[in-house]
Amino acid sequence: MLQVRDGAGETLGVLFDRYQTPLYNFYAKLTGDRTLSEDLVQEVFLRILKYSRSYQPGTPFRAWIYQIARNARVDHYRKTPKHISFEPEMAPPVKPKDEAQESQEAEMLHRALLQMPEEKREILILSRFQELKYEEIARLLGCELGTVKTRIHRAIQELRHVFRQLESGATAAGSAGAASAPAIPPRRVGS
Amino acid sequence: MNMSCEQIGELLPDYLQGSLSGAKKSMVEAHLAECADCKDEVAVWQKLALLPVEQPSAESRLRFEAMLHAYQEGRSDRGKAHFERERSVHEPARPGSTWSLWQWLRTPVGAVAWSAALLLIGLFAGNFYGARTTHEPTASNQDQIAQMELELRNTRQLVVLSMLQQQSASERLQGVSYSQREQQLDPQVTTALLHTLRYDGSVDVRLAALGALSNHSAQPQVRRGVLDALQEQQSPLVQVALIDQLVEWRDREAAQQLKNFEQKPDLNPAVKQRAAWAVSKLN
Repeated sequence: MLQVRDGAGETLGVLFDRYQTPLYNFYAKLTGDRTLSEDLVQEVFLRILKYSRSYQPGTPFRAWIYQIARNARVDHYRKTPKHISFEPEMAPPVKPKDEAQESQEAEMLHRALLQMPEEKREILILSRFQELKYEEIARLLGCELGTVKTRIHRAIQELRHVFRQLESGATAAGSAGAASAPAIPPRRVGS
Repeated sequence: MNMSCEQIGELLPDYLQGSLSGAKKSMVEAHLAECADCKDEVAVWQKLALLPVEQPSAESRLRFEAMLHAYQEGRSDRGKAHFERERSVHEPARPGSTWSLWQWLRTPVGAVAWSAALLLIGLFAGNFYGARTTHEPTASNQDQIAQMELELRNTRQLVVLSMLQQQSASERLQGVSYSQREQQLDPQVTTALLHTLRYDGSVDVRLAALGALSNHSAQPQVRRGVLDALQEQQSPLVQVALIDQLVEWRDREAAQQLKNFEQKPDLNPAVKQRAAWAVSKLN
C-alpha cells in the first residue's frame, strides 16, 4: 500500500515537473492572470489523480492533459464570471527589459492577444506556444485538420490587425508628446 | 504562377510550422516577396516569439505536494480547502452554488456524511418495519480506502503508459522501471511493454522492457509476445537476450520457432549459434 502510494506520488511528481510550466504558460497567455493560472494548474493535477481511469492507453498523453486543462478552465468560468482576468494591466506578463522596443512590442502583442476573441486566442496559443501539432489540436478541439488550419490563419489575420492598430495608436500617442496619455484603454473581450 | 492571398492562406499554417517543402514552399515564398499583407502576417507570427516563457512560482510545487499528500491521506477536501484559502488572498469570495454542494458530496467527507445519512434512513426504515438493523461503522471508510488505492494504482499505470511514450529514451527507461513496482502487471501495461520490446528505438529500453516482462511468464500473452518480438528484432544483443529468456522460461513450444529462426539467412553468426544452443536445451 505504502509503495503504491509513494510510487504514484513520485511518478505524478515527474509529470508535474514536466507539464507545469507549459500548462502555466497556456493559462497565463489565455487569461492574463498568474494567480488563476497557478490555481488551474493545480486543478489539472488533481483531476489527473481523480480521472486517471478515463485515459485511453495508446492515445497521446499530451493531448489528454490539454483536454483536462481546457475542461478545468471551462468549469472555472462556469463557477466564476470573468471580470478580472481580461484587464491586461492586472498582470502584465512582460517585465521591462533593456531592449525597450522589444519589450514594448511584446507587451503590445500580449495585449493584442488578450483583446482577441477567446477561441482565436486559444488556437493561436495552442499552435504557437504549446508545441502541439495541428493534428493534435484538431483532435483536441474535435474538428477537421483543414478547419484547424483555416482557423489558425484567421486568428493570425486578426492578431495582426489588432496588433498593428495598437501599434499605430501608441505611435500617435507618442508623437503627440503626451507623456501622461494613457497607453491603450483596456478593452473587455467577451467569450 | 501567381497565387491569391486566399490560396496562400491555406498553405500558410503549414509554412509557419516548417512543414512545407518543394514547389509549395517556393510558391508561398514568391507570394510573400510580393504581398506586404501576407508578409506582415508572417512577421507578426514570428514576433510572438518575443513573449517570454514564464515560470510558475516556487510555491506551486509545494502546493502540488500538499494536494498530493492530502489526496493520498484520503483528505482531498482538505487540499481543496487549502487551495481555496490561498486563492481567497487574491480574489473575492465566490458565490456558493448547488454545484459546490455536489462537489462537496463527492469528497470523502461528503461521502461519509452521505453514508451517515443513508444509515440513519436505513435505521429509521428498519425500525419502522420492525426489523433489526446491524451496521459496520467503518465499512464506508474501508470502501473509500479501497477505492483510493485503486485510483492510485490506476494513476501509476497511467504514468507508466505515458512515460513509455516519451521522446527521450531515459524517460522511457524510467517508465519501464516504474512498471516493475507492481506485483501484477495490468493488461494494458503488459501490452505497452510488449509494444516497447518490439518497436522501441533504443536497445537499452527494449532490453529493460524484456527484464520487466521476465517475471511474468505465467501470462501466455507475455510468452507469445517475446517470441513474436524475436522474429522482428534486428539487434543481435536483443536477439540473444530474447533467446536466453525463452531458455530460462523452458518454453518448449518455442523450440520449433527457434529452429526456424536459426535458419534465417542473414543472421549474425553468434546469434545463430545461440539459437542452436537454445534449441538443444529446449528439446
